Amino acid sequence: MTRRRGLPRPGRALLSAVLATGLATGLAACGGWRDTSVSGTGVSGVGGNVIPVLTFPAEADNSVGGLANYNPLAAKPLVQTPFFYEPLIVRNNLSCTETPWLATKATWTGATTLTFDIRPGVRWSDGQPFTAQDVAFTFNLGKQYQAADKAGVWNDTFGAKASSVVAKGDQVVLTFSGPAVGKYEGIIKTPILPEHVYGKVGDPTKYIDKSPVGTGSFLVDSYNGRRLTLKRNPDYWQADKIKVAKIVLEGTYDAPSAALKLRAGQLDAYWGEIPNPQKTFVGADPRTNKFWYAPNGSTVLTTNTQKRPFSDERFREAISYAMDKDAMSLKATYGIMQPASQTGLKLPYQSSLLPSRDRAASAPLPYDVAKAGSLLDAAGYRKGSDGYRTEPDGSPLAVTFTVQAGFIDYQAMADVVAAGLNRIGVRTQVTATAPDSVDQAKKTGDFQMMFEFLYGGCDVARGLGAKLVSSQIPTKTDIFPNVQRWDDPATDAVVADLDKTAARSQQTTLAGRLVDTMLTQYPVTPLIYAPSRILYRTDKAQGWPSEQNPYANPSDDKLLILTHLTPAR
Amino acid sequence: MRYYVRKIGFFLLTLWAVVTLNFLIPRLQPGDPATKLVQRLAGRDAALDPAQVKAIRAMLGAPDGSLWSQYVGYLGQLLHGDLGLSYTYYPYSVTAVIGQGIWWTLVLVTATQVLSFLVGVTLGAFAAWRRNSRFDTVVTLGSTFLGTLQPFWIALLLLYVLGYATGIFPTSGGYAGATPGWNWLFLKESFEHTVLPAVALLIVTPIGWVLGMRNTMVMNLGEDYIRLARAKGLPDRVVALRYAARNALLPSVTGFALALGGVLGGAILVETAFDYPGLGRLMGEAVQNKDYPLLQALLLLTTTGVLLANLVADLLYGVLDPRARRAQA
Repeated sequence: MTRRRGLPRPGRALLSAVLATGLATGLAACGGWRDTSVSGTGVSGVGGNVIPVLTFPAEADNSVGGLANYNPLAAKPLVQTPFFYEPLIVRNNLSCTETPWLATKATWTGATTLTFDIRPGVRWSDGQPFTAQDVAFTFNLGKQYQAADKAGVWNDTFGAKASSVVAKGDQVVLTFSGPAVGKYEGIIKTPILPEHVYGKVGDPTKYIDKSPVGTGSFLVDSYNGRRLTLKRNPDYWQADKIKVAKIVLEGTYDAPSAALKLRAGQLDAYWGEIPNPQKTFVGADPRTNKFWYAPNGSTVLTTNTQKRPFSDERFREAISYAMDKDAMSLKATYGIMQPASQTGLKLPYQSSLLPSRDRAASAPLPYDVAKAGSLLDAAGYRKGSDGYRTEPDGSPLAVTFTVQAGFIDYQAMADVVAAGLNRIGVRTQVTATAPDSVDQAKKTGDFQMMFEFLYGGCDVARGLGAKLVSSQIPTKTDIFPNVQRWDDPATDAVVADLDKTAARSQQTTLAGRLVDTMLTQYPVTPLIYAPSRILYRTDKAQGWPSEQNPYANPSDDKLLILTHLTPAR
Repeated sequence: MRYYVRKIGFFLLTLWAVVTLNFLIPRLQPGDPATKLVQRLAGRDAALDPAQVKAIRAMLGAPDGSLWSQYVGYLGQLLHGDLGLSYTYYPYSVTAVIGQGIWWTLVLVTATQVLSFLVGVTLGAFAAWRRNSRFDTVVTLGSTFLGTLQPFWIALLLLYVLGYATGIFPTSGGYAGATPGWNWLFLKESFEHTVLPAVALLIVTPIGWVLGMRNTMVMNLGEDYIRLARAKGLPDRVVALRYAARNALLPSVTGFALALGGVLGGAILVETAFDYPGLGRLMGEAVQNKDYPLLQALLLLTTTGVLLANLVADLLYGVLDPRARRAQA
């Protein structure tokens, strides 16, 4: 009972009260609550070479623990990592390399037919064989139930809609009514469901899946509404690659608590945001504590290119040189996320998408106030006696930067943007407003400048292309990627061509044209890379992804990571 | 009879206003539930996949028809006791979601409210009786100081000191390894997990009662009837409790009833800080996710709670103060 001595008086009073209300009928809290970690290492097939248990944060909030649902179509499934229902192909969106998963190969015939070779010898966890039928069934669900169509196969998001999905022997053929290359990423990511289970439940999005039957590397061991324990699936089709015997998923953490848990070794990895990880995590024990924040996209300066002065290409170019990206990196990310390339690509990882003639121009634009000033002078934005510039026609020039209140890193960056602009004589004011209002402004176009995210994935049509094509300008009801409202027929033609080709060489050529647009017309100005994060400990497991070994996107490709982990020596 | 008709009429009118506001307020704010859900799964700096938004919107049932027809539909649903499916926990029903959280909040908040009322009123009464003593000074000054603190801030402090730094108490959730139910381990764990959030609430919530009670009672102690009671030679204990404290208690009772009804609001931040699985945390989540059905149900629950609490307060008032009974008869 000694540990209760320090309790303040109300605490003691509480004890009796709670006893009275019947919560704890017996007696009090002597033992620690910290349950011993899950034991059990009896893993067959991998010898003694196992990691007994790894602890990760929960993948869904556990406020309402009793409401378990593993259905990947649910709004909030209990796990997001495809531990059970696996995808066809895992693609690392940094290097764009593909790892065949449930499909051994994907082939485009033209831009309208996509054929998957389905991996033989895979079994569902209930012993039934996994077949091409299951894959066709999964995609056809979306035809009947629109809510199940998360890849957009049956509508015209990023390419034409499908006309049929059929299984032919060991292959599955998706036929589209037009070019549909832009749908590739969504399709390969789709979790494949067992027809013998999901075929009987009616509307699959209304099905509460409490005992998943998957092809995946792990099985549900136990779940008490809060702590989910997974055990290695001994019959997994690549079981020899999985050295982790158990995974415990528990707790949703904010940055301070996650840092403390990581330092204490009560978490083995964390994928959320921890500011200044070098100091708060690595510093505690540099031998075991590591992190890698990979560029997952870029934070870009987004101006409303349909409104003056931002409709003027020369103005956009000039202000792009007034961006002190190093200061932004330092203030918003403690110098971890690097200044981003004006090409809009995640470099150096995506340099294969960069035409060779653009390599030289791929470096981030320098912070050059003098150049920005002379460009503005040349474009007719003259400086008045007060040091501020006017429009070429003499009317006053003042811009407002809208930033999401509470996004601390964004706010820090916005201050740097405003300082840079004021320095070159463009009167700029920062207004912080509720994130929902910023979203609203994206829909209505009622803004001058804001920050935005540029994904820049491996499907150029869907990454950089979607950012620039006029069909992706937000509407009253939806936010689409082209928030800056770039409306240019030449760009539209390039993106349309990109949609029509699956050939890598041709894609690179076309990507080069989009890069040219970025480098010469400044539809948006990339500032610093936005992270995909992982923080991890190497005392139990090694083989985590890192800057030196970037085999996986740290936060997206957990399946890949699990096949790379080996016991620490 | 007319009195009761008027009371019930007033109750129904208020209830209707509440239901209507519940319906309108979330919808008048910008933001789209489907986008929120996709954004939440993807994380802040991630590409928002329009195909997924489309699918989720289809799942939630895109609001069809005008605001008016939605409103009529909503009223019809309510009349049938159907609160709909939660967006966040789809396809679980709102009733199931609330059913999971309500016990936690009932235990945590009811216990702390009752306790802080008792503690606060007692301390306040005692301080007033011994006014200007050292005890009074300590209690009054201490309360004034503590009253400026936010339970949320205290929660963070407790989390750090008693949770992380010393490891005495668990830091998040309602339990850890146990299986919920009537078993020893679960009871023990849920008790341990309730201590810190309860303490966080208990440090601040009695303050209002302390100061209120003390001031009212000090005022009462100056009244003639107290002087008379003393002159009659009644023992101090009787004068203090039956005469002064009983009268001073009246305003506090009304306040207490209102506080009980409004507990949900106060518990949101504390429950969130400790990841405590109660309704307060759910409400915070519903707001974030624009989970209209869940939010509407929770607001309905809270406001009905306040209305009912008011009724109970009226009744209690009658018991404590004969004058109120007579005036209403």
